[in-house]
Amino acid sequence: MSDGTPVLQIRGLTCHFGGLTAVDRFDVDVNQGEIVSLVGPNGAGKTTVFNLISGILKPIAGSVQLLGRELVRQPAHRITHHGIARTFQNIRVFPQLTVRENILLGTHHWTRSGMLGSVTFWPGTLRAERAAQAEVLTAIDLFRERLEARLDDPAFSLSYANRRRTEIARALAARPKLLLLDEPAAGMNPYERIEMAGLIRSMRDRGLTIFLIEHHMPLVMEISDRVVVMDHGAKIAEGLPKEVRSNPRVVEAYLGRRAASA
Amino acid sequence: MSAHVADAEPVHWLKRFWESGPYEWNRALTKPQVLFSLLIVASAVPFVLQYVEDNSAWTGAEFWIRILTTCAMYACLAVALNLVVGYAGLLNLGFIAFFAIGSYAYALVASDQLHHHLPLWSALVTVVAVTLGFALLVGIPSLRLRGDYLAIVTLAFGLIIREITIDLDRPPVLAGHQFGPSDFNLTGGTAGIHMVDPLQLPPWVPLIHGAALQSRTYYWIFLGFLAISVFCLLRWRGARTGRAWVAIREDELAARAMGVNTFKYRLLAFCTSAVMAGIVGLIDAAYIHNAFPGSFDIQGTVLVFIMVVLGGLGSIPGSIVGATLVTILPFVLQQLVLYKYVVFSIVLIVLMIFRPQGLLGIVSIRPRAAMGGTVELLTAESAIEASELPAVTDRDAADLESASGAIVAPEPKP
Repeated sequence: MSDGTPVLQIRGLTCHFGGLTAVDRFDVDVNQGEIVSLVGPNGAGKTTVFNLISGILKPIAGSVQLLGRELVRQPAHRITHHGIARTFQNIRVFPQLTVRENILLGTHHWTRSGMLGSVTFWPGTLRAERAAQAEVLTAIDLFRERLEARLDDPAFSLSYANRRRTEIARALAARPKLLLLDEPAAGMNPYERIEMAGLIRSMRDRGLTIFLIEHHMPLVMEISDRVVVMDHGAKIAEGLPKEVRSNPRVVEAYLGRRAASA
Repeated sequence: MSAHVADAEPVHWLKRFWESGPYEWNRALTKPQVLFSLLIVASAVPFVLQYVEDNSAWTGAEFWIRILTTCAMYACLAVALNLVVGYAGLLNLGFIAFFAIGSYAYALVASDQLHHHLPLWSALVTVVAVTLGFALLVGIPSLRLRGDYLAIVTLAFGLIIREITIDLDRPPVLAGHQFGPSDFNLTGGTAGIHMVDPLQLPPWVPLIHGAALQSRTYYWIFLGFLAISVFCLLRWRGARTGRAWVAIREDELAARAMGVNTFKYRLLAFCTSAVMAGIVGLIDAAYIHNAFPGSFDIQGTVLVFIMVVLGGLGSIPGSIVGATLVTILPFVLQQLVLYKYVVFSIVLIVLMIFRPQGLLGIVSIRPRAAMGGTVELLTAESAIEASELPAVTDRDAADLESASGAIVAPEPKP
């Protein structure tokens, strides 16, 4: 899958919250067509790394490059424009918008349609709106049977798993080069989790590069091309799933020193 | 009629409509054809009242047309406020100031105050430019703030504008230095500006009958502006701009992560709503022939807020229904004299307890439990920061997690 060109390059990323170092000189490369998982105990700084990549938080040092373009110090909405879309750990769909409108929000950054255009029925604006509507159907392609019937229902009426799917469809509609998934399988039952694993793989097969945070280890082991382990804000291990699994530092981070030496 | 026949019998459409709930009512009433029919009905009301007066002993046509004109004016304001509060979720407590600025801007260019009598179109351009200028002045620094701070800044702005309109009947004095000549009088002080020109409509506009002074003409003008506003709002709501506004209201952080330039879209909503209020101010100044500071105190903002919240945040038909109820109810309750406002307040309080979303709304003004108790109107951002920061430091949760077994199991040593 991977052709080895780095899509995302993070170097020396550091972020403090008051006296606490949330992310400490973090480095990672994510290559084209790879699924890379970021794992670590709770509070290791995984979500903070995602927030730093997507521009919601600003690092105090370090660089984040997407296809060679520096993203640090760019506002969050510009970062989406450069090709990063993300989902959130605690699902953040827009509850009062319909599923369709939620997914249309993903097309926001690449459609050109203004206020004057929409009240004057300007042809360019109508074209842009039609292109956005068509993109909705492309974006739900992978879970069509789950969402198609619900497209015009408000998102607050959806089941938990369907909200996740909506959020992923919204991210796909943004036509990203890199997709950040923050715990995509959290709160899902085993069947939905298997479905999610298949979904992540098929997104990769369509050429997307995926960087994800996940707690459910069997899922991580199954789908990841590479695994990066964080603890206390720093990277403690990186490698193929099975290498990481037996790394003593990883075991120590999860279970404590005694378990590791036992 | 036997039971199995009753099963197949179609439910009356009114009953079905009633049972479908506010979400569907709002959807049904927001349909263009429904709104257009309502517009036609509303435009015909003066004729009906006139006809009834001509053919009976009743003589209230002019009185009720005046009330309806006020009603149409407040509907315009409520729809404009709904854009900024209901769609974009910005708590603009200085809203009425933009109405005042529009009124005064028109009064200054179309009265003897400054001896200018601009024709309608150039007066309109002036009013739009002036209100837009003030909206940018307030919006650019304050829209970077979070919801509650924005409310404070706009509230202060509303109060300042009112004080300015009262005090600028004499030259401003700062640190002992007087700016301008001693006979400087811009706003006419507490008395306001009188003898403002009525609107000079071109002769081809129908239903004018020469004189533009009849209140029913202004009723139709307000109604026309309301129709234009509603049309624009519905077009925007169905397109990229309106989606971005509602997304910012619903979840600012997620909107930013989807590439919405939140500052730009908040500013757009704020300025559009301000300009709409300014134009309503222009029409109102021409209608009542003066611009008077008493109409623009904080109560004005509160009144329009009541209309919008009563009708339902984010619902266009709701705003119109709210404006109608709030303007007409006091007249209907006229017999209760002093008690009418007590009755009115009780009705409002009861309604807000049992239906915090408003009559046709879907957004609750109550704290949303799922968002950690933040008020929906205030942005969700504070909730995110509160929920994410502890997660970083929370070692107890990590221990719980390891105990639950959702972790890497150590490989058995060979």
